[in-house]
Amino acid sequence: MAKPKVGIFGLTSCAGDQLVVVNLEDELLDVVGAIDLRSFIMAASNPVEDEFDVALVEGSVVTAEDEERLREIRAKSKLLVAIGTCAVWGGIPGALNDLGRNTLYRIVYGTDEDLFKASVARPLKAVVPVDFALPGCPIEKHQFLEALASLLHGDLPIAHNTPVCLDCRFNENLCLLKAKGQLCLGPVTAGGCRARCPSHGLPCEGCHGPVEEANFASEVAILQEKGFSRERVARAIRNFAHQADLARTS
Amino acid sequence: MPRTIDVKHLSRVEGHGRILVEIDDRNRLERAQFSLVEGPRFFEALARGRDFRDIPMMVSRICAICSVGHKLTSVLALEDALGLTVSRQTQLLRDLLFQGMSIESHVLHTYFLALPDFLGAGSAIELVPRLPNEVKLGLAMKKLGNTIQELVGGRAIHPVNAIIGGFGRVPTRDELLTVRKRLVELLPGAEKTVEIFGGLTYPDDTVPADGARPTSFVALAPDGDQFSFFGRRIATSAAPETVLPVEEYKAIADERVVPHSSAKHSLPGGEPYFTGALARVNLFFNKLTPRAKAAALATGVRFPSANSLHNNLCQAIENLYSFERAIEVIDLLLEDGGPRPEAPADVEAKVRAGRGVAATEVPRGTLYHEYELDDAGQVVYANIITPTAQNQANVEKDFGSYLHRHPEADDATIAFNLEMIARAYDPCISCAAHYVEVKRRS
Repeated sequence: MAKPKVGIFGLTSCAGDQLVVVNLEDELLDVVGAIDLRSFIMAASNPVEDEFDVALVEGSVVTAEDEERLREIRAKSKLLVAIGTCAVWGGIPGALNDLGRNTLYRIVYGTDEDLFKASVARPLKAVVPVDFALPGCPIEKHQFLEALASLLHGDLPIAHNTPVCLDCRFNENLCLLKAKGQLCLGPVTAGGCRARCPSHGLPCEGCHGPVEEANFASEVAILQEKGFSRERVARAIRNFAHQADLARTS
Repeated sequence: MPRTIDVKHLSRVEGHGRILVEIDDRNRLERAQFSLVEGPRFFEALARGRDFRDIPMMVSRICAICSVGHKLTSVLALEDALGLTVSRQTQLLRDLLFQGMSIESHVLHTYFLALPDFLGAGSAIELVPRLPNEVKLGLAMKKLGNTIQELVGGRAIHPVNAIIGGFGRVPTRDELLTVRKRLVELLPGAEKTVEIFGGLTYPDDTVPADGARPTSFVALAPDGDQFSFFGRRIATSAAPETVLPVEEYKAIADERVVPHSSAKHSLPGGEPYFTGALARVNLFFNKLTPRAKAAALATGVRFPSANSLHNNLCQAIENLYSFERAIEVIDLLLEDGGPRPEAPADVEAKVRAGRGVAATEVPRGTLYHEYELDDAGQVVYANIITPTAQNQANVEKDFGSYLHRHPEADDATIAFNLEMIARAYDPCISCAAHYVEVKRRS
């Protein structure tokens, strides 16, 4: 059987999800041996971009070039996988999506002019159909390998639709929300990270974006009881997934 | 015939970079541009109006390869604003975390992004059959850098564990001993790396011609007599007798917006300068650790060097420094039965209005963060100046030096060499497609 043709791409982002791939020190040579890696510009020159069985795309859609590039990748790919919270939810760059771009230009660049023709930071699914979403800021190495193994077998991977709280229970962590009254987003955040932050004694920041059927109303109510304002909690939820809050609490 | 050389997307760098060169019909350079075309993400605006506690985790996302740098520099600036001091154990753990970042970043750049240029390959993967041991050594060292970031930072990319006041969880003695053992095992590999990169040929195309203005090198002056990635004074080769407190960083790294880049250009008094490993080694060679200094001397290359391509070699030298320093820091942490579990310093009582500035030496050069807080701890002003923004103008100056020396070179040769020069700075932008387009204007 021919090796699947794979491309790894970055739109507007920090390149952290691509870096997770580069950081597969123990598995990297096996991974590149199992696939036909045709385009991975961060790591290699001379890409071949005719068609892909699987395209892995990091980043959010901010510029016209991002949008054009994404449509081009989609047209050439059988399966398109969004990797990282920027690609899945818009991520940190989307946290200010409710502010006009001209306000942002004024603050950062000192001008009202639309210097770079930037839109709000959109997730991939706002522009093209996405076959599978692997969130994380950055994605977790073990989740990436798990997803890639499924894709190599021709299957769509299974999404982790359990909250960070479940990972916390496995690690027998003290509940930072209930026991310590901290602003922990674990109950509303997609897990699979093995509860990194709570396992270091720190509250979940929500970097994987919302878990399916997250109960934002309940999370806000619990945190309000602990003394946090609704605005502060909503802001925390919107940090990584601006759309989530708009969709679920209005 | 006049011509335009356009490298629309520079490969083997982090981010979207573009090289555009226009040459007139008598082979004279009309324009040499290095653009950072990553979509704008407005981080300084994101910070405004936010509680200061949210800042470090947000600005960490500016960059993956040096996320430790952004996170810790923001932490240091915010602690400066709050007047918060941290324990010696925290300072040592931060130093160790920085060494982990530096090892990971320098090994990634030297072995996997830059080396293919010198050996005529498109990627490190293509080098595997030719240099299996070297690629494996690179992977092993990079993994160790990531292991240190994972252990101390809680995650190799966007470290969760380093926060204002200290650390969520302090690594145990056994964990540090395991890392120390691995550092000692790979130390000869780090020495070998200096030898490998000392043996490459670095054309002196970027060295300013006789009579031209020499390149200025800028780096933080270490506080003590040891080489360091931390300091509160800025040194420049242009005025070796004077140092500037970091609070006055705008006198050196003053930014302006240029139409072709979403990163702001830095031009102190309109003059380009170099920041990064080459600047640090040039300015503070004598403060390097013993093995790093000895290995550097054995290469035969003399510092200070005005050859920008030597930045690759200097990263290899700094990588060896980081191995030595990491072992030293671990030994200091292990003294008297340490390290000990320790809660982060309490910030609640410290919330006040104020301004804080910090700078650190991250793998690509000096990174500045500044924040102003109101009395409720909300950010009213934020300013971040990255090394790549500072280096952008100097990259363009180097393009000019190359083209001055090679006016007759063909388009493909020019494109290859300019890419190699830009890549030597290890620019941190964030990446996509790559193709070279040569346009000849009639």
